[in-house]
Amino acid sequence: MNLDALTEDELTRRSDAAGEPSWLRDRRLAAFKRTLDQAWPDSRKDEFWRSTPFDRRFSIDREVVDGGADASPPATLLDGLDLEAAQARVVDGAVTEVSVPTDLAEQGLVVSDLASAARDHAEVVRRALGTLTTSDPDGTGAGEDRTVAVNDAAWTDGVFVHVPAELEVATPIGVHVHVTEPGAHLPRILVVVERHARATIYLEHTSVDGIDALVDEVVEVIAHDGAEVQLATLQSWADEVQHLSLQKVQAHRDATVRTLSVTTGGATVRLRPECDLVGPGAEVRPLGVYFADDGQWFDLQPYVRHLAPHASSDVLFKGALQGRSQTVFRGNVFVHRDAVGTATDENNKSLILTEGAHADSTPFLEIECADITAGHGSATGQIDARHLFYLQSRGIPREEALRLIVYGFFREVLTELDLPGLEDAALAAIEGRIEAADLSSFQVNDAALRDLAEEVEA
Amino acid sequence: MADLEIRDLTVEVDGAEILRGVTLDLEKGKTIALMGPNGSGKSTLAYAIAGHPAYDVTGGTITWQGTDLIDLTPDERARLGVFLAMQYPVEVPGVSLTNFLRTAVNAVSGEDVPVREFMSRLRTEMQELGVDESFLQRSVNEGFSGGEKKRFEILQAALLRPQLAVLDETDSGLDVDALKIVAEGVNRLRGPELGVLIITHYTRILRYITPDEVHVMSAGRIIASGGPELADELEERGYEDLKAAAIG
Repeated sequence: MNLDALTEDELTRRSDAAGEPSWLRDRRLAAFKRTLDQAWPDSRKDEFWRSTPFDRRFSIDREVVDGGADASPPATLLDGLDLEAAQARVVDGAVTEVSVPTDLAEQGLVVSDLASAARDHAEVVRRALGTLTTSDPDGTGAGEDRTVAVNDAAWTDGVFVHVPAELEVATPIGVHVHVTEPGAHLPRILVVVERHARATIYLEHTSVDGIDALVDEVVEVIAHDGAEVQLATLQSWADEVQHLSLQKVQAHRDATVRTLSVTTGGATVRLRPECDLVGPGAEVRPLGVYFADDGQWFDLQPYVRHLAPHASSDVLFKGALQGRSQTVFRGNVFVHRDAVGTATDENNKSLILTEGAHADSTPFLEIECADITAGHGSATGQIDARHLFYLQSRGIPREEALRLIVYGFFREVLTELDLPGLEDAALAAIEGRIEAADLSSFQVNDAALRDLAEEVEA
Repeated sequence: MADLEIRDLTVEVDGAEILRGVTLDLEKGKTIALMGPNGSGKSTLAYAIAGHPAYDVTGGTITWQGTDLIDLTPDERARLGVFLAMQYPVEVPGVSLTNFLRTAVNAVSGEDVPVREFMSRLRTEMQELGVDESFLQRSVNEGFSGGEKKRFEILQAALLRPQLAVLDETDSGLDVDALKIVAEGVNRLRGPELGVLIITHYTRILRYITPDEVHVMSAGRIIASGGPELADELEERGYEDLKAAAIG
């Protein structure tokens, strides 16, 4: 089955072969019918695609990969920590491994492949799956483009996480998506955190080197009333992978959501960390760090929708660039006319390390309601020569000082979440990129040095 | 030959000549005060010694224990024992204070000081200078008040154990209590292995740290030199009078 030529027969056959319930097959086919009327994104016409040329950065003429891997995947972040954690692994479009510590299973935590969950936990899955994308005709995802509709129609396998009401899961739950086969990968992840429950999800993306693959992914997370959810995603692909990912959270009344995306790998990554604030008092903190190296193109599109009163959001994305790389930040905050008392802020900072890198940044606000506080900002700059001088004046060699400053730039974001192993993993991924670079080519902005030379003016 | 020898030093910033031929000697074990009005070039001299990239040395020499400093990078100078306590320490966002200090101590000492030993030294010095432990969680200078920044500069000097400490207006912006704490901190560092160059606009700090010599700068030159009594004279007569005397 080619991603560009899905057929009703093939989708039906696959759904039946997997033993999916009829409601699920019907949803797939409904999504498939939508794709028939949809063209692939056109960057000349589609506002949200304007900054990244779809046809040049993504190839869709690929066979869908549906299991069959025999490679042994690399260790995950959680594997490296001394923790009893629940984990699931999707390799080449099929779930290959699920483990849940006994005590958590006894308390009702479910981590399972999505196909079995559609049978064993039909009620929860049916109520949630696809509601943030095209399955809910009145939802905010009803108008999603073909890149999402094809996942709705043809996702191969995925992971379901269910945290029952009031269960507080102390250790992070790991979901690992690993790619070893060329082609199109369509993973699907559904997380439902019931009222007053707490959970942290680590979603890690890895691949073997030199793999020509497209990963078109949909992640749906539902945080019910008073739930506390943290979602950390790591895009640690090899340099050739193309990644489209909608990572969408729905936050109900008084839910607290924090998301962090760490993007260092992939040829082209278009990440959409979204959050719909549908209940009063909900709160979301979307965070992102990214480090784009020579040849990489990252398009970050966080989107927050304030659909209920007195909710708050505070978006912060920071990226560094070196070599001939391109980053796009297109942040969006929408405030519905009924969302009185909204507080929102949205910021993006880019650090240009070497000549030839290019950062596009547009924090965008769409406000229908007057009774709110809103801010947004964007800053692009180079390493500040004053910082460099200060560190060097304490004996720290230039290259080490540059490294400390770049880490510091990211630590400001990473230290906001106190999650085991995450800061180290993110900094290690960034360090890998810096190590490969020629630190002597880092550009330093010395304009600010003039401030120090104030005796001149006196 | 003095440990620090500055000879006929001329320095430009953005093409403007600020130092117009400065000659100064400092021996380890001695403390000298360099005074002068705003714009006289005191801070320029401090930055030139530390190797600040915005200050171009156009003539003369700075020699530290026989080594010409002018072509050395700021970090190379620091590793030779040169320390500058800055007038306006910058905030370095996200760089953890503890990590920064440990990296600096390792770089300057040339050895990998064990974490426990380093932390116990750090805690001791912090206590001496009345710096709260909560600072360990912060980033370098971030959110510090003016007085806290100055204390942190002296804390760094205590940890790095330099042989030449240049204190650039470390007293400015401090209230009397903070000034006393900082001055005591400096006095603790003084000894036969440390030369101190105190740069100040006011005589106030010299009541707590007694210099061996006082030099007065104006318009990029040293116009008067003497013992501690020169500071008292300045206090009474002011810079204008001294300038007039130097010209006349």
